[in-house]
Amino acid sequence: MSSPALVVFRKELRDTLRDRRTLVAMVVVPLLLFPLLMVGMAKFSQSRAAEARDKTLEVAVADAELGPDGRGSGLAEFLRHEPGFAVTEVQDVTGLPEQVRSEALDAALIVPSGYAAALAAHYPAPVQLLHKSSDDFDIPRTRVEQALARFEQKLLDERLRSFGVEPRVLDPIDVQRTDVVSSRELFGKLLGGLLPYMFIIFCFTGGMYPAIDLAAGEKERGTLETLLSSPASRLQIALGKFAVVTLTGFTSALLATVGMYVSVQQGIEGIPPAILSAIQSVLAPGTIALVLALILPLSVFFAAALLMLSLYARSYKEAMSVISPLMIVVVVPAAIALAPGVRLGLVTALVPVLNVSLATREIIAGTAEPLHLALVFASLLLLAAGGMLACARWFSREDIVFRS
Amino acid sequence: MIEVVDLTKSFPISRQQRRELAAQSAAPSKTAGRPGASATNLQAVAGATFRCRPGRVFALLGPNGAGKTTVLRMIATLLRPDGGRISIAGVDALADPVAARRRLGFLTGSTKLYERLTAEENVRYAADLHGVAAPDYKRRRDALFGALGIEAYAGRRAGQLSTGMKQKIAIARTVIHDPEVVVFDEATSGLDVIAARAIIQLIKDCRAQGKTVLFSTHIMSEVTMLADDLAVFHRGRVLAGGGLEEVLARAVDEHGQRRTLEDEFVRLIDAAEAELGEARP
Repeated sequence: MSSPALVVFRKELRDTLRDRRTLVAMVVVPLLLFPLLMVGMAKFSQSRAAEARDKTLEVAVADAELGPDGRGSGLAEFLRHEPGFAVTEVQDVTGLPEQVRSEALDAALIVPSGYAAALAAHYPAPVQLLHKSSDDFDIPRTRVEQALARFEQKLLDERLRSFGVEPRVLDPIDVQRTDVVSSRELFGKLLGGLLPYMFIIFCFTGGMYPAIDLAAGEKERGTLETLLSSPASRLQIALGKFAVVTLTGFTSALLATVGMYVSVQQGIEGIPPAILSAIQSVLAPGTIALVLALILPLSVFFAAALLMLSLYARSYKEAMSVISPLMIVVVVPAAIALAPGVRLGLVTALVPVLNVSLATREIIAGTAEPLHLALVFASLLLLAAGGMLACARWFSREDIVFRS
Repeated sequence: MIEVVDLTKSFPISRQQRRELAAQSAAPSKTAGRPGASATNLQAVAGATFRCRPGRVFALLGPNGAGKTTVLRMIATLLRPDGGRISIAGVDALADPVAARRRLGFLTGSTKLYERLTAEENVRYAADLHGVAAPDYKRRRDALFGALGIEAYAGRRAGQLSTGMKQKIAIARTVIHDPEVVVFDEATSGLDVIAARAIIQLIKDCRAQGKTVLFSTHIMSEVTMLADDLAVFHRGRVLAGGGLEEVLARAVDEHGQRRTLEDEFVRLIDAAEAELGEARP
């Protein structure tokens, strides 16, 4: 013979697993979202960037210094020898902005009259660049600017030589830069900010539908009275339901982790091997286990809050309208953790959700302090226990259970 | 046996309910004039006392809003009374509600099944909650499923069944633990004739098995067909009660003519309303 709490748990779990909506929110979305998102984004970014990088740029050069002898600023000639440029020389500049805007041209360079005089007087000679900011990571503009920089360097070298100066004497120091940041720390800060954000959302959404179904849904369907008139105590009923909501929320976050781990371990086409190997080293099983240990008390707290709100609601619809905006309340502290300068400290370790986000970031980066982690665990456990007790009390309140 | 002594229960009135009551104050309403009613509380039950005996069917008769459901919910320990005493098969329901619920089966007209569970799983869930041992469950389940004609539907999900079939499964669920006391709260309300008949048969079977049966209704024909004893309930109070024959014997008009139960019921309610009307400022 089983304890009534266990009987309620088993029944609610079976009932929940037969609900397609819950299954999609709890299993399918978290398991597939990360792999699809990562593969999709990598492929998309790679193809767009490659396209922008390999494309031959159509550039018009309007050189006002061009004389009858065919000599001008030399810019058009220089660009013609640069790889990936198709240069057209034009006289009329009035149509150029529109041609760039309509993407008939990738860019246009205008060399105004006075360019040669300024250059001769050793003043900065003006060159106007017309470009259109694009979603191709602004690669066309960058490529034109890089070519201009090389042109400028050529002019500078010529100028220095005309003064009898070797250009290299202007570089007294040759800085050899070496970044000693570990890949774990580098990607820890990046991934550590983003991952808890995802886990927290899944932890919340995974428990949301079961919580609504198990309390408000049961009220609306008229099965709650039957359950309450059984020998199971209110505490046992609350515990059984509570355990299911906690389990679904946690499972959702766990499956998201599994989805991400598997896709990273399998290797994602489009992500450079060096970065992929760094991410793989960040997502070590030990690190993931520690992060999930933080998610567990958070799931308990979410389950309590969700179940209480659901029990308070008169119907499924009302519960939905109360709980859905709560997601924003949950996301805000997680988003704050993404802001630069926000670190895990004695105060932030006590703020629910924010503390999980910050602690995850520190764990992944390998910079977590044991005292702060202990504080996060302690505050989450306290919160979870408080939430659980409050939830059980609400099941005993007839003004809540029979609210109409 | 169900013993209810001097039972009272009030509910806090919400701001919205208070506004509604104020708007209705000119006209008599089901909530106005209850003994103990105040600006913040509504007295739903005021000193109800009655006794339901084993092997007999007790009908709680009253108009809508009389407080019948509140009384039955207190008996089923869903609500806690403000005062009074409830005994279920010898167990003090206030001191030990879990033990009281073990001896009780509770069925309402709005009772529904878990639609994603099969008929069998619905009944099994109730049995497990009542701690019915596996051999007892099998014996009870076979007998009930056979008697109710639901064996063929045992493996089907409740959501795929007809209303009548669902009601039969709800019946099986209510009595799977073989309770000493069975309480029906307007259990036939809104049901078609076939489904209602199944409930009525269950009430008769429970009486034949020596169980204590309490049911609430506002349908007079059900009372005359089923009840051995009754109490007329109005605005949280018992207006009249006793054996059905006894109540009918007392129901005689000024010309010495016997009244029907319905006429007697209406007379009692009218008299109580008139009394409250005079008492009201």
